Amino acid sequence: MKWAIIPALTLWALAAAASDDRPALSLSGFATVGIVATDEADMRFTRVGMDRPGNERPDTGPDSVVGVQGNLRLGESSAAVVQVISRENTDGNYRPRPTLAFLSYEFTPEVTARFGRLRIPFFMQSDSINVNYAHPWVRPPEEVYGLSPFADLDGLDLLYRVRAGDTDIEFHPFLGTSRISLYPDTKARLRRVAGANLTLSRGDFSVHLGHAEAKLEINWQDPFYTTLAPILRSPDLRAFGGNEIVAQMSGDDGIVRFSSAGFHWDDGRWLVIGEYARRQAQRYANSAHAWQLTAGYHFGPVTPYVVIARHSQDEAVIGAEQLRSLPPVPEFDELRSGLAGFNASRNLAQRSITAGVRWDVHDNAAVKAEFTRARTADDAWGTFDPASEAAAGRMGGRSINMLSLSVDVTF
Amino acid sequence: MLLLAGAMAFAVPARAADVVLVTSATGGIPGLTVEEASQLYLGRRTTLNDGTPVALFDLPSGPTRDRFYELLTGKNPSQIRAYWSRQVFTGRALPPREVKSPAELTNLLTNDGAAIGYLPEGPIDPRLRVLLKLP
Repeated sequence: MKWAIIPALTLWALAAAASDDRPALSLSGFATVGIVATDEADMRFTRVGMDRPGNERPDTGPDSVVGVQGNLRLGESSAAVVQVISRENTDGNYRPRPTLAFLSYEFTPEVTARFGRLRIPFFMQSDSINVNYAHPWVRPPEEVYGLSPFADLDGLDLLYRVRAGDTDIEFHPFLGTSRISLYPDTKARLRRVAGANLTLSRGDFSVHLGHAEAKLEINWQDPFYTTLAPILRSPDLRAFGGNEIVAQMSGDDGIVRFSSAGFHWDDGRWLVIGEYARRQAQRYANSAHAWQLTAGYHFGPVTPYVVIARHSQDEAVIGAEQLRSLPPVPEFDELRSGLAGFNASRNLAQRSITAGVRWDVHDNAAVKAEFTRARTADDAWGTFDPASEAAAGRMGGRSINMLSLSVDVTF
Repeated sequence: MLLLAGAMAFAVPARAADVVLVTSATGGIPGLTVEEASQLYLGRRTTLNDGTPVALFDLPSGPTRDRFYELLTGKNPSQIRAYWSRQVFTGRALPPREVKSPAELTNLLTNDGAAIGYLPEGPIDPRLRVLLKLP
């Protein structure tokens, strides 16, 4: 965090030299207080890479967040932006961290370059994932947004905005790196992120297309990996491809691709949002695709909506072929089931239907309530975490009811 | 008589709902198109088409502000606030600076030749100039 503050103070001094009497610094912020409860005692809702599933019932961890932001004007074409948020992290604490810390420069009215810490814009709403006020839902559907737990982009991007006829076009290429903690002591990293988004808006309708690729590193330290890896590396298993299986589970030589396509329609009465997203991972994570469709209707400040969403696995972390390399003898049954558990614990596959309502109670404040019924796939944990070791074996094929309540404000 | 009073009750708010975009009478902004105004007030641009940077002001929340955004962008108050929260907190743009009253707006515009704001249509302070009338 210190690295963000020192340049910010330097820039403050520079901004004092701005030629007019318009304010150089603007402060703003956002916050959500949210609770989530499930009706299954052994399953806890969790957002991959964002919160630490706890035993609190209801749980305030997945959705509660507070963020403050300072925008500093540095003359007519430059600005510095710092945003710091506090929300439960995977270590279970609320230590504040910078989510934006960049310098921007406007080359022409159409082209702005930004350098520093930015938001990773893999999917349609990824760069506002913490800003719940900006969305109709309590949170963007986890089926889709769970595909990328990465949130920060340390690098640079370009915002190219033009208008063609009645259509506003935003072309948004980006480059950089990203790190995240997926589990206590498990660090995941993206290097050489390269991607681009295209957003076309016309009146009430907008369309998003995005694609990005990166090198992926995940060094798992969860009980599945730390138990299975030494067994797979043992001399007895080497002949059956044990080392190759370990190399598929964890390491720093992966490649991942994220793609998405979505649309957003809001004419002041009807609200319809749809998105399809896909992750293709060569190793360490599974390959999967997901979609969601939301429809709502604005009755003045009250907007009821329904969401259907589905996340499907395309390829497990440890593929079927690798599992078959283990001899089909009972001595290996326990190992096989351990590996199946490893795969399931990294598989978000589930489908869900949600009925919710957003009520804009005040200028800058919204109250939301959502009821979700989700069903995890047979070989998946879905967006849930087992409350105990015993529960880990019975996460697949379950139906769960979930209630989420939140209050969002901006200031 | 009742019918007439009823008709007037409808007619008066409709007339009062017109909004004008204004700038300093002596300022450097020659003119403004509806498209430029909507690009500016949606944070997609910070300059006029000729490259002149423009400072923007918002009235406090209320009927004039709501009507202004409705006429200019077609978005209702909740949509505009959700839209702007996304623009601001993704680091894309800064919202117009909010003034406390039309009187404060008039003073600020008078002191800054490259700024624009909006007011309900009606008698305008002679230090200001109307750039655009909505709708």
